[in-house]
Amino acid sequence: MTATELPAPSPVVSPAPDRERWLAIGFAGPATLVLVVLFALPLALLFTASVAGPAGLTLSEYEKLATPHYLGVIWNSLRLALLTTGIAFLIGYPASFALARARGVLRSVMLAALFLPLAASVIVKAFAWTILLRSDGLVNTVLIALGIVDEPIRMIFTETALIVGAVNIFLPFMILPIYAVVAQLDHRLVEAAATLGASPVVAFVRVVMPLTLPGIIAGVALVFSLSVSAYVVPTLLIGERYPTLSTTIAKAFLLARQPGFGAAAGVVLLAITLTAVALSARLGRSGGSR
Amino acid sequence: MTAPDAPPHVAVRRVSKRYGPLTVLDRVDLTVDRGELVTLLGPSGCGKTTLLRLVAGLATPEEGTIAIAGRDVTRVPPHRRNVGVVFQSYALFPHLTVAGNVAFGLSVRGRRRDEIDRAVARTLSLVRLEHLGARRVSALSGGQQQRVALARALAVEPEVLLFDEALSALDRNLREEMQVELRRLLREIGATAIFVTHDQDEALTMSDRIAVMNGGRIEQLADPKTLYERPATLFTLGFVGQSTRLRGTVAAAGDGMVAVDTPVGRVAAMGQFLAGSSVVVATRPEHLRVVADTVGHEGSDRARNSVDGRIRAVIFQGSRSRIEVAAGDQVLLAEAPGRIASALNPGDAARLVWPVAETFAYPDPEARA
Amino acid sequence: MTARLAIGFAWLAALAAVLFLAVPLLTVVAASVSPTPVFDLPLEGASLRWYARIGRLDGFWPALSLSLQIALLSTAIALVIGTLAAIAIVRGRLPGAETLATALVSPLMMPGLVLGIALLQYFRAVGFTATWSALLLAHLVVTLPYVARTMIAGLALFDFTLVEAARTLGCTYAGAILRVMVPALAPSFLTAGLFSFLASFDNYPVSIFLTDVRTKTLPIKMLQYIEEAPDPTLAALSTLILAATVILLVASDRLIGLHRMAGTSE
Ligand SMILES: Nc1ncnc2c1ncn2[C@@H]1O[C@H](COP(=O)(O)OP(=O)(O)OP(=O)(O)O)[C@@H](O)[C@H]1O
Ligand SMILES: [Mg+2]
Repeated sequence: MTATELPAPSPVVSPAPDRERWLAIGFAGPATLVLVVLFALPLALLFTASVAGPAGLTLSEYEKLATPHYLGVIWNSLRLALLTTGIAFLIGYPASFALARARGVLRSVMLAALFLPLAASVIVKAFAWTILLRSDGLVNTVLIALGIVDEPIRMIFTETALIVGAVNIFLPFMILPIYAVVAQLDHRLVEAAATLGASPVVAFVRVVMPLTLPGIIAGVALVFSLSVSAYVVPTLLIGERYPTLSTTIAKAFLLARQPGFGAAAGVVLLAITLTAVALSARLGRSGGSR
Repeated sequence: MTAPDAPPHVAVRRVSKRYGPLTVLDRVDLTVDRGELVTLLGPSGCGKTTLLRLVAGLATPEEGTIAIAGRDVTRVPPHRRNVGVVFQSYALFPHLTVAGNVAFGLSVRGRRRDEIDRAVARTLSLVRLEHLGARRVSALSGGQQQRVALARALAVEPEVLLFDEALSALDRNLREEMQVELRRLLREIGATAIFVTHDQDEALTMSDRIAVMNGGRIEQLADPKTLYERPATLFTLGFVGQSTRLRGTVAAAGDGMVAVDTPVGRVAAMGQFLAGSSVVVATRPEHLRVVADTVGHEGSDRARNSVDGRIRAVIFQGSRSRIEVAAGDQVLLAEAPGRIASALNPGDAARLVWPVAETFAYPDPEARA
Repeated sequence: MTARLAIGFAWLAALAAVLFLAVPLLTVVAASVSPTPVFDLPLEGASLRWYARIGRLDGFWPALSLSLQIALLSTAIALVIGTLAAIAIVRGRLPGAETLATALVSPLMMPGLVLGIALLQYFRAVGFTATWSALLLAHLVVTLPYVARTMIAGLALFDFTLVEAARTLGCTYAGAILRVMVPALAPSFLTAGLFSFLASFDNYPVSIFLTDVRTKTLPIKMLQYIEEAPDPTLAALSTLILAATVILLVASDRLIGLHRMAGTSE
């Protein structure tokens, strides 16, 4: 009797792992098919169309985009996204902390106030802002009643209207990811920092900020990529005066019948969002590893 | 074994299980009689859970057969084996109430509503949870969840109950309470059970027989007393209880006894070896008597071993104390009741005396390698 | 002191955010009962006549019906194939599981407009002209990522021992999935279904490229109404859509709790 005796090698091979693998492939099959046939292939075709000229490959559509007018259009999109993201962050970051501290009914109310607009149709909300910001709209009525202005100020179809609407529509996308992180924050860490001699400000900057960074990055990336490609908001709140990449793409396909140009603009828009996503993924990773 | 003529209720015959190149169970034999509780005891990764899963039908062996109540179930899927499993995590269905969990197996079997209700009430009162039937399982304490898991397994009146570390998630006091209660309950209903644990005290408390497992094999299958007093292998000796060991060479042999030359002198032990074999002699610490007086006439004879040394440490452990005695370059472990130990001081000369009948010789695994 | 100031500031920001988010929704509701056609506040006397006019909006019923069909069907299909894929990713010995998981949620990162024009050109190139089917397929791409994301997260937390427990209690493998895994994952299914339904029902940027003159989804019709003749009828319609959304949300909250959705949604 010995404690260790080498097991005899076995001639029998188990069939189970192989069957499980085939089952898994079968389960993943339909979704993968959808992804390839309805997502990857169309995107590949879009890219091809953007560089296909009458005689082979051409970059002429992209050259059109490099003209001052369309560079301005691209800048319009970026500007809209940057302003929206910045303002949404300034409101959303502190608000997330209050939301995380809220309990009971208050928390339910606040979550509902976030979820309802998130679930509400973008068109409905944009429409509401057109009503609010008209020259005879509620905002002007209030401003005049309070004596702040004498006569109605023009708001609809201005950049202000555009940014107000965009922030309003995308704000929940900033708050939710940050809230998810803040709610998990271990408050003992702040206390630990305080016992180590950190003032509240230092504790915030050195402990809380880095810990909430993943949420910040996620929220910023989400709001940026949503607002840079927003279509309904600029269409309803500012219109022709402020052409963006999105409205340009739509026009190229729906009115001007310039699919090649539209495809090129689409590729540029895609590149901008993918850059934002990739950048945030990379930042998120380096932030997490510290 | 208990009843030699009755066929075993669960019979595992030469079962092997492999995961890829890894042999997790190697030609294991195990039988459990009707109404018996057998524990699988062994270190982490030795294959206890795997063996249990094979009996439950959640995995199939590459070799060997498994029979429950005389029926070969080796290839029978779990839902047709009629086993009851209590999982370590309890695996209670979160979307069902306590009663819903207990009723599950019966309702899957298509029993009538009133029959199910009666069975649920009966089983819940068996585990003393009759008042909690309508509770959500997430609103239960750990001990209560454990009882629900047990009731759920019992409700289907399974041929055999399987427990995988079922008590290990409970805190110590509750665990000891449940050990006693579970033992009583299983006896009462005459359940056949296989119980996996890596806690030797739990195994000793609960089992009719214990299978000590190591590296995918069963080292010894015996009742707790035999296992403790007559460990068949050095592994069993080391895994169940404390031991004091000495390495040596057999000088003389005969009559099922050997005389072994060890670094602390000649020691007699039970065992059959050829002269010249390398062996480990071992005994339980409680058999070692510490005698403060080393000049007296109590020396080794045919019935007793005796070694002189010096006390190195006395470690208070409540009702008993552990005494470490240095003899040559060896340290021997003894145990004594508190009042004897209090008279002993580190540095004192001491003599250890213990019966030859409680001393066993095992082949030395290191000498062979 | 600093800490108190900061907390006060946080509450202020939260209050502002909540009010700011509520303003357009309240506006729409108020405007829907406007006594005059120019969105007057219903200070003196409310009117419900705009609600009666919704049904008479040109092309409203076919658009509503189309949107509901597409949203329900695409959500149902996405739930099935997305859940199967999530099981394979979380559980199975699937080669490249990580990559597939990333790929499945990647359309979320994609501007809807770009997906729309890509599908438009693709369907044209392969000669696929059935508008209704094209919309359904496109919306499948819109809804699948929501399902995949929620179900992967939900399944990662699911204890598969439950399935084994059910099998030892007498369930077949398929029976165990249906009787235990599906109900235990009900909150995930509900969240996934809700998000993907809303994403499809409200989708504009993908649909706009795939509809034709006679086949238009509700959001497209609504934008058209707003651009052509904005009057309180649209506010009434918006209010009804809002009310339906509220009912959906309240029902889900009853069933699973909003804070759980907040946890799984991002
Ligand atoms: N599905 C599996 N695939 C591959 N290897 C496995 C699988 N299940 C178990 N093993 C391996 O089989 C060996 C025995 O596992 P088992 O779970 O039976 O151990 P155990 O005795 O129950 O241990 P513990 O006390 O830690 O629960 C381990 O080395 C384990 O890694
Ligand atoms: Mg185990």
